[in-house]
Amino acid sequence: MTSTTATRFLDPELLARVGSLELLARAVVEGFMSGLHRSPYTGFSTEFTEYRQYNAGDDLRYLDWRLLARTDRYFIKKYRADTNTQCHLLVDTSASMNYAHETSVTKLQYAQFLAASLAYLLNRQQDAVGLVAFADKVHTHVPARNRTGHMRTIFGNLSMLEAGGETHLAESLHQLAEILTRRGIVVIISDFYDQAERLQEAFQHLRFKGHDLVAFHVLDQNELDFNFTEPVLLLEDAETLEQMPVLPDVVMSGYRERMRQHVEDMRRCAAANHVDYEMLTTKQSLDFALFSFLSRRAGK
Amino acid sequence: MSFLTPLFFLGVAALAAPILVHLVRRTRARRVQFPALVFVRQVPQRTIRRRTLHNLLLLLLRCLAILLIVIAFTRPFFSGGSAAKDNTAAGATVILLDNSLSMRREGMFAEAQRRAETALDDARNDEQIALVSFDKRYTVLNRFIADKNRVRLGISGLSAGWDGTDYEQALRGAESLLGEIETTGPKRIVLISDFQMPGWTSAGATFKLSNNTQLTTLDVGGNNPPPNVAITNVEARGVVFGQKYLDNLVVHVNNFSDTPKDHVQVDFQINDQTVEKRDISLNSRDSRVVEFTGFNLNEGANRCTVEIIAGDFAPDNRFYFTLRRETPKQALIIEGASRGRSDSLHLQSALTTNDDLPFTFALKSAGSVDPASISDYALVVLNDAGPISSALADTLAKFVNAGGQMIVSTGPHTQADTFNNSLQQIAPATLREAVQTKAGESVATTEVKFDHPIFEVFQESGRLAAANVIGYFRSEPRANAAVLARFEDGSPALVEGRTGKGRVLLFTSSLGPSWNDLPLTPLYLPFIHQMVRYAGTREANAWYGLGQTFTVGKRQEQSPPAIDTPGGARLSESRSTPDGDLLVTAREPGFYRLRYSSQPDFAAVNIDGAEGDFTKINFGEFMAGVTGGAGSAEGAAANRNLSDEQVEGRQRVWWSLLLVALLLLLAESFLARRTKMVKMIG
Repeated sequence: MTSTTATRFLDPELLARVGSLELLARAVVEGFMSGLHRSPYTGFSTEFTEYRQYNAGDDLRYLDWRLLARTDRYFIKKYRADTNTQCHLLVDTSASMNYAHETSVTKLQYAQFLAASLAYLLNRQQDAVGLVAFADKVHTHVPARNRTGHMRTIFGNLSMLEAGGETHLAESLHQLAEILTRRGIVVIISDFYDQAERLQEAFQHLRFKGHDLVAFHVLDQNELDFNFTEPVLLLEDAETLEQMPVLPDVVMSGYRERMRQHVEDMRRCAAANHVDYEMLTTKQSLDFALFSFLSRRAGK
Repeated sequence: MSFLTPLFFLGVAALAAPILVHLVRRTRARRVQFPALVFVRQVPQRTIRRRTLHNLLLLLLRCLAILLIVIAFTRPFFSGGSAAKDNTAAGATVILLDNSLSMRREGMFAEAQRRAETALDDARNDEQIALVSFDKRYTVLNRFIADKNRVRLGISGLSAGWDGTDYEQALRGAESLLGEIETTGPKRIVLISDFQMPGWTSAGATFKLSNNTQLTTLDVGGNNPPPNVAITNVEARGVVFGQKYLDNLVVHVNNFSDTPKDHVQVDFQINDQTVEKRDISLNSRDSRVVEFTGFNLNEGANRCTVEIIAGDFAPDNRFYFTLRRETPKQALIIEGASRGRSDSLHLQSALTTNDDLPFTFALKSAGSVDPASISDYALVVLNDAGPISSALADTLAKFVNAGGQMIVSTGPHTQADTFNNSLQQIAPATLREAVQTKAGESVATTEVKFDHPIFEVFQESGRLAAANVIGYFRSEPRANAAVLARFEDGSPALVEGRTGKGRVLLFTSSLGPSWNDLPLTPLYLPFIHQMVRYAGTREANAWYGLGQTFTVGKRQEQSPPAIDTPGGARLSESRSTPDGDLLVTAREPGFYRLRYSSQPDFAAVNIDGAEGDFTKINFGEFMAGVTGGAGSAEGAAANRNLSDEQVEGRQRVWWSLLLVALLLLLAESFLARRTKMVKMIG
């Protein structure tokens, strides 16, 4: 399989046709991993820590045969696991995440793909993965585990997520900061329709609890461009259902400016709180998100 | 504005297209869910409102352009009052505004002023415009100027007057005015009037506008003139000498409408006291005569009015006149000295049968007359007196020169030489030989001037010729004498001459039965009375027509009296005769008060009764008569020499409309494109 083919499977439009999140995640991560051979970033592995005396019942696979040959002593190689970090995937399921313009992938679907892929990737690294879904409040919480079969729970819960309700992102994060007592990585996948100042406080709260924060700001490309062909539209707020007549060509430039400012505010807010921030559009392939995640984590 | 192809107005339906597009696009605003309106809401909504206005402006531009294109296809052109707005050089326009009495009808003159201002607005800015008001006269209020404001000021300062209407006079004046200006542009007359029939008669019309003068008529009178009953005339003798008015006072009442009028009350008043009332009925287009007689008059001037209660146009419902009762003056009849029976018997009898003559008569023979006493008389009748003394002759000459009146008759006692010698200074004719017809033959009177006051009573009967004349003098009238009647051979029968301030009537036959049988006929009495009245009458009309000039004499006073107009204002404008009498032109109906210090007098002035006839003029005849071509009620004469196609071709309004439509479409395109560009750049 060529890297091109592998990358093709990371295209969200194509991934949307895959019914199982598990398959999807595997395809994404395996494809991504195969593509990494050409990456300048080296990977990760288990790390040797010490030898210990062989005891009966120890797995012979870990016996150091070279040392046995040289010294005629039975020593078992002791490896330290790469990590035993807990990672919580926080997925925003508010109604605004149900938006898709000129694509078949909504923001929520993209968030599901991304969360599934991250879960698969983290599980492959032996990390405990948990899932939290929230809208106006936390409605789904799968605690972080590293057990076999936990992934199915994660994928099952992810696939059942539906968009609805208003976003109270800052409140939800504050709430989660109290729930997630053990330190770990918190990955927030949201469209972040909240004030940067309020989010900053929430980030600080999570940081105070010892979490490393990763924020994926998922947006539809049209949320950035506001590019409509109709001369006039009756826009309806997905969350409040408020309606508003709009002349897109008139509003477009003003909207873009404000949206750009919001993204910039988010970026600044994340940087100030040591939050790994990445803005993604639903047209971007998932390897970009994974690559971003891993490269930022490599620096930690 | 007229249209050559009005069917193209169906194209207005095309207006529906942009309107429908506008409405459809507006109603198809698609409802789209959007993640969050928080940032959309922050964009100023003012821009959106401006865009809505912008779209409305685009719609308006599109509609206007389509409308202009449709109108252009109908090929509009200006006719009538707007005809001057063509592409030719600036011309000259005379606005003829009728301010006659009939324009006093309610709101009519204001409407005429409004139409005049509209005509003014329609004229080009560089057009030379003159403003002329007219009734029976015309008054130039503004000669040709290009200052519309000044003309407008002149129009607003006008008001309806009291006089009648004369269209021919007005058009003559306007044409004359147009002749004064040199222009290569069109010359035009805008005639604004109620176009009542009495103002113009085709039979009497002698005037036509020149070919290069356009006539535009603006009718403010409406098509259904209101009914009107009017007093059109009063026939009255202005001066009487008895207490009772014995003649018939004749009042003419006319119904100018097509509907009969019943129970019209005619109220005759003297000095504000009702003398008699009559109730009359008038058929449609009827004229009735109401007569009053036998009423008493006070000494001096009596203010008399006849009024009808008809509830219509008020100014012609009242007629003013004055009746003066004066004391008869002394008159002297001088006859021949030696008579058996007085030759003045018939004359004397005739003069004493009527106490309403201006004289009381005394009879003396020529020899018994004291020349010094002649000045006591106002009239001297020389009735075949024969030779008179030179002193008497001189006195009579002085008497006539000083204003005395004389009636001279010949007869068998008159000798031509003696007569000519004695009265050569004052006699209106020189006597020649006496003519005696053969037995059984006579001559009749011919060539009678029936329009003269003496003979006007005989005009209808014509029986004056019935008198048989058997003797008369042939005579030769003086240069300034007027022959009022002749005998069959052409010899003067009655000659009138003026000497100094006096007047002499010479009858070349006898006033007795010697040379004719006149005294034996019924003609004699009125003939004598008329001569005497004529000799004794000073100019004292019962009333004057508006615009007529009357004399106000000094009488026994040092200077003419002050005069108050009917409106109560003191008259300041008047002219004087060489004798110092005032000449007053009547400008207002009613009584002019002549403030003599001894006894006030009055002069009555009336409007032209025909002005109450609001019947519309026959426009076809009028236009044909005035312009020499066919005309119609309004404005059609303006381009009478051009067909509609030619007028439209000259004006080419469609071209301008298409140009404007093109500009509008360009503007629309620019605005629409600008919107699109904003969208793309944004």
